[in-house]
Amino acid sequence: MTTTSFDAASLGARPITGSGRRRRARRPGSANWPLTIVLAVCALTVIVPIYVTVSMAFKTTRQAVNGNAFELPAPFSLSGFEQAWRLTDFPRSFALSVFVAVVAVSGTVVLSAWAAYAISHNWQRRFFRWSFFYLLAAMFLPFPVVALPQVKLTGMVHLDNPIGVAILHVMFQLSFSVMLFTAFLRSIPGELEESARMDGATTWQVFWKLIFPLLAPMSATVGIFAFLASWNDYMMPSLITSNPQLQTLPVLQQIFQTQFSNNYNVSFASYLMAMAPSIVVYLFTQRWVMAGVTQGAIK
Amino acid sequence: MSPDQHPPARAASTFTRRGFLAGAGALGSGLALAACGAPTGSSPTTISFYLSKPEVIPYFHRLISTYHSEQDKVRVVLDSSSNVPADFVRNRPPDLGCWNYNFAVAEFVNHGALSDLRDTPQARSINPALWPLMRQTADYPGRISAIPYSVMAEGVIYNRDIFARHGVSVPTTWSELVGVCERLTAAGVTPFFNTYADTWTIAQGMFDYTIGGMVDVAAFFGGLKQEGTHVGPSSATSFSRDLAAPMARMVQLAQYSNKDAASRHYGDGNTAFAQGKAAMYLQGPWALGQIALTSPHLNLGMFPLPVTENPSDLKVRVNVDLALWIPEASPRKAAARDFMAWLMQPRINDTYNNDNDGFGSRIDAPAPTNPALAGLRKYYSGGDFYLGPSQLIPASIPVANYAQAIVLGSSPASQLALLDADWSRYAIRVA
Repeated sequence: MTTTSFDAASLGARPITGSGRRRRARRPGSANWPLTIVLAVCALTVIVPIYVTVSMAFKTTRQAVNGNAFELPAPFSLSGFEQAWRLTDFPRSFALSVFVAVVAVSGTVVLSAWAAYAISHNWQRRFFRWSFFYLLAAMFLPFPVVALPQVKLTGMVHLDNPIGVAILHVMFQLSFSVMLFTAFLRSIPGELEESARMDGATTWQVFWKLIFPLLAPMSATVGIFAFLASWNDYMMPSLITSNPQLQTLPVLQQIFQTQFSNNYNVSFASYLMAMAPSIVVYLFTQRWVMAGVTQGAIK
Repeated sequence: MSPDQHPPARAASTFTRRGFLAGAGALGSGLALAACGAPTGSSPTTISFYLSKPEVIPYFHRLISTYHSEQDKVRVVLDSSSNVPADFVRNRPPDLGCWNYNFAVAEFVNHGALSDLRDTPQARSINPALWPLMRQTADYPGRISAIPYSVMAEGVIYNRDIFARHGVSVPTTWSELVGVCERLTAAGVTPFFNTYADTWTIAQGMFDYTIGGMVDVAAFFGGLKQEGTHVGPSSATSFSRDLAAPMARMVQLAQYSNKDAASRHYGDGNTAFAQGKAAMYLQGPWALGQIALTSPHLNLGMFPLPVTENPSDLKVRVNVDLALWIPEASPRKAAARDFMAWLMQPRINDTYNNDNDGFGSRIDAPAPTNPALAGLRKYYSGGDFYLGPSQLIPASIPVANYAQAIVLGSSPASQLALLDADWSRYAIRVA
């Protein structure tokens, strides 16, 4: 949803300056009202659920089930947070989720940058071209299709733990990330690398000193996608992790959703605690996310 | 647990069949690993205990710490988040399971993945009237694969104060029930609060209660199994033939519903019923706790839904809410049995059932003391109960959706014909 509203903003921003120059100049302070209204409605679709999440989290169970989701919490209660903290063993499950996400993000960025660098520089060779298509083909392979063999395999090699989950996250993120990096690398002129070579840089040095810093905006994009996929994943950790004490946060949160009972305040308090890192990460990095997406898309 | 010991697969899906073949292959290595992890000397054995009922996790945490304080040979790790089929696939299932005994566990029972508990004193302490129900859900010939721990009895929850205010008493025949509904409607009271937006509430409620009150559920499903792939309009037993009368009752009942039933969910129903917006509510005891969240002191009672004109036909719907089982693949069966025996002691088992509105599974178990359940006691102790038919239809047949279609105005005959066709197709798949 955020992506849509952001796109609309950037699309809408261009005609204003463009038409301003050609036709009647729009005064800088005047607003584009139709667009503002559309954007406000779009923003509501994000703000309303967040408002409900936040207000539910601070309600008592009794108020949470009374059917008025939009009410302000009265009395203001922290019991939801307290229960959610206890039931999910929050510090441990949070630390495990962070661990899985960090491994998944760093693994995805480094591995796919390496792969994309190798592929884009050897595009004329059949082996590299085909390995690119091979990696892309994995995009058409969703996890549920290979879930059972993965469960079996990770069990056999003793990777039925968060490390195995992180490795699988890297693997499933690889194809999309390699595609983004490869597209981005094509926009970097080859002369840059030639000049570095003339100064005597090895391939390793060229990559780490020249290419990888240039890839930074795209690395941010890839990293954010990898983070969100890993942080929000439910199915893979639930199937792969065999020790319940090593389980990640989204899986433990399923205990709040049952057919027969509604503890909205506890569930929403727990969701809020789990959402916080994603929101914080996005707030600080959204500029790079959007820049990275558009940079990868051109040419 | 090698493949050739399996009986012909009855309700096997490729999922579990593959899982079990693979599991059998890895059994050797699994046992080798187990030997490594075996306890040495006096160090305690740690067992994993899987609980499928999230509502009682804190309750069982307390039970487990009591167990730990009473002995030091076994340590229990409570698990409610693992994916149990995946655990079976990698041949590391929980050592003791405590599950809702329904289709989710049926595959493991039917394939002999659960160990035989026939020789335990706990198996002998169970109310014999429950074994047919257990076998109806799932069975491995010659074994007792699971021991029932808690049984839920379901019926009509009614607001005693509303009944008293309008001078109506608990109906015991269909015409009395219609009379109660007419009288309440005339007084401007909604007789039933229904929540059609959650299809399971229709299947669990109106659908199961009308069928169970009129039809011998065990005989009906026995007949369906005999017909096998031939279930249809011309077979001796079929949904179209045997369930036409109950469905007609269901359609009639649906008239006495709240007007906004189509858009109400289970949670809305609990809140509305707690606020006194209707006199009756077709739910099980799990709803009592949810209703109490809004109105803790509501004067509630329960009775079995009368569907015929004969009061002796009255029966309650039951389901085995929790059953204990120990997988064959568990290398710590002795420790698991020790914890199971501890859980099954009357002082633990009866307290659990009383605190959670469940009926006991042992012969000598007392009935729960919650006054709301008083109206169901004599039916449960007299053995007048049936398993919910919707729970006996495989999950791949969307029976709850068909029930929803009927209460929303679709013709029962067409939905029952769909059920017939689905059932025969299912029989072909698993034949």
